[in-house]
Amino acid sequence: MNAKVEQATFVIEKVRHLTESTYVLRFSRNEMKFSPGQHLVLGLPGSTELREYSIYSGVNDDFLEVLIKEVDEGLVSRQLKNIRSGDQLEVRGPYGFFLTRASKQDPGGVLFISSGTGIAPFHSFVRSFPESDYRLIHGVRNLEEGYDLDHYQRAYITLCTSRDDQGDFSGRLTDHLLEAELDPERDVYLCGNSNMIFDAMDILRARGIPQNQIFTEVYF
Amino acid sequence: MRYYLMTLGCQMNLSDGERIHSVLKGMGLEQSDSDENADLVGIIACSVRQKAIDKVYNQVARWNRKKNHSNLITFISGCILPDDRERFLKLFDMVFPMSEVNHLPEMIRSYGIASPASLEIPFSGIPKNEQIFSLWNIQPSYRSTFEAFVPIQNGCNKFCTFCAVPYTRGREVSRPSSEIFQQVQDLIERNYRSITLLGQNVNSYGLDKGGKEIGFAQLLEEIGKLGTNSGKEFWVYFTSPHPRDMTSDVLDIISAYPHLAKQIHLPLQSGDDKILVKMNRNHSLEQYREIVQGIRTKLPEATLFTDIIVGFSGETEAQHRRTMDAMNEFSFNMAYVAQYSPRPGAASFRWEDTVLKEDKRRRLHQLNEILSTTASLHNSALVGKTCRVLVTGTDRLPGYLKGLTEGKINVRFPATQLSLVGEFTDLIITGYSGLSVEGKMAPIQVAALATDELNLQL
Repeated sequence: MNAKVEQATFVIEKVRHLTESTYVLRFSRNEMKFSPGQHLVLGLPGSTELREYSIYSGVNDDFLEVLIKEVDEGLVSRQLKNIRSGDQLEVRGPYGFFLTRASKQDPGGVLFISSGTGIAPFHSFVRSFPESDYRLIHGVRNLEEGYDLDHYQRAYITLCTSRDDQGDFSGRLTDHLLEAELDPERDVYLCGNSNMIFDAMDILRARGIPQNQIFTEVYF
Repeated sequence: MRYYLMTLGCQMNLSDGERIHSVLKGMGLEQSDSDENADLVGIIACSVRQKAIDKVYNQVARWNRKKNHSNLITFISGCILPDDRERFLKLFDMVFPMSEVNHLPEMIRSYGIASPASLEIPFSGIPKNEQIFSLWNIQPSYRSTFEAFVPIQNGCNKFCTFCAVPYTRGREVSRPSSEIFQQVQDLIERNYRSITLLGQNVNSYGLDKGGKEIGFAQLLEEIGKLGTNSGKEFWVYFTSPHPRDMTSDVLDIISAYPHLAKQIHLPLQSGDDKILVKMNRNHSLEQYREIVQGIRTKLPEATLFTDIIVGFSGETEAQHRRTMDAMNEFSFNMAYVAQYSPRPGAASFRWEDTVLKEDKRRRLHQLNEILSTTASLHNSALVGKTCRVLVTGTDRLPGYLKGLTEGKINVRFPATQLSLVGEFTDLIITGYSGLSVEGKMAPIQVAALATDELNLQL
């Protein structure tokens, strides 16, 4: 959590396109210290339009990455999609404390639940602590949206696909949550859009997970 | 050479304003109570509500018209969103963040206002993170002789989705505890009666220093000890804490030290867990409830204040009713209820403002009705009791003075002796009305005053 960098210009190293609308932006680390779960505020240099993105890379990587999905009417996500290696990026942060408690637990003993690009903070956590005892339930529309699945321990991740039957579970992640085996001792971390988080919170509480073991980060 | 400074917004801005006054007076400029006769005019802006920003635009338009027939220099600082900053650059002569206030003499000098004092102040190229520290090092020109603010922290890392503070004031930076103790000690020696520790999230004090600074609980404890050792009477407040960082040791310490006032301002914002998630408050209603239970157990005499937003994006009637339930359950002494308005720069600005204005007004009214009931309940229980009160000034009602109890409940009482202002006195509470109470001076206080007056006549 020792934030060395507050606001600076970073250099783009690589843009990795995962699908037509989703990409990973890799840029210089500039010795920034961060904890998994923290986010950065990004934009083109000099622009007043900046957006928050969770850090996707791990604490031991010598670069920084964020996972971005281009959204309709999304000014920054479209601007950044056209950025090229060597271009500059304005970066503020790191901010936040979403996974602070999880990062202090060694080994993990945590359940992560995400939808879409909400997987980013958990990817950062797993990259940072690959030996931790995590479980990840991740909801996407189809298998193509299951990004970088080989970065996770296969036995620890359950991919729920709502629009094809290529995942570990065919259907919405909330449908899976209704029947999944839940360890009441594990802290639960939810990240994604607010509707998914609200539905999942209701299910978790109905299934006996205490509210004080549930942590959320809403993507907007 | 005269200057006029308009301060909008919160106590943090008022505190920052006290330092700007010091800088300008240090340059040899004279303060003016109105902008009519001033040569230099400035605003400390607030971006929390659109109304405050509208006021800035109206004011600067007036000043710029005045420039057609007089020499006037304008500046703006404070909480400014990036979009507004771009516009202000075209409207004001100087736009700068509070962290650069120590460069103000240099900036003013570049406009040709060169007083002998200003010429002696060198330009200092202090690194960015150090600059906020240099602001704190400026001795403030306090607005009051008995109430003072002490900034302990600047900025915010919490990123509540309705708020733009992280974008206007930057990330949390804690002021060194040694400086805080020094300022508090100075205020104690100058017989200040009410000292308020200020910050956007006071109870995350020290967390940005990675273990190299004490935490909030220890900071309070040390200030509590300063009080005990001083032998003087004063109350220390803090605002605002975030429920997420409210630890039980803070309550233990408040309980242990009499100078730490038994009044807690704990923003709730909403009584609905899903709205709290959407606001990115990072705590649930249950967690808030546990803190309140801790307050009621450890500080049974403490008053409890809160902030609530009604009509947040997507708030349904059912969710609003849960906030009403929470208001009834927590029985606040005071609640600052605001209608939600999307702020450019805050994350929620990108969401639809779904609740109609008339519904927001109704919801606000409903919560204020509940507040009126719970506050009346608390205040009625004070009737007949003797309360220690800090007298703060003359009341609007002729023949009355006003003051605050330790729990910051407004009091008025029949008296006209201005010598009481800024002093503590004992009042017997005789009645209550909504959010305030009325009292009369305890007989022993009346006798003491009569003796003082007699001595003066002799």
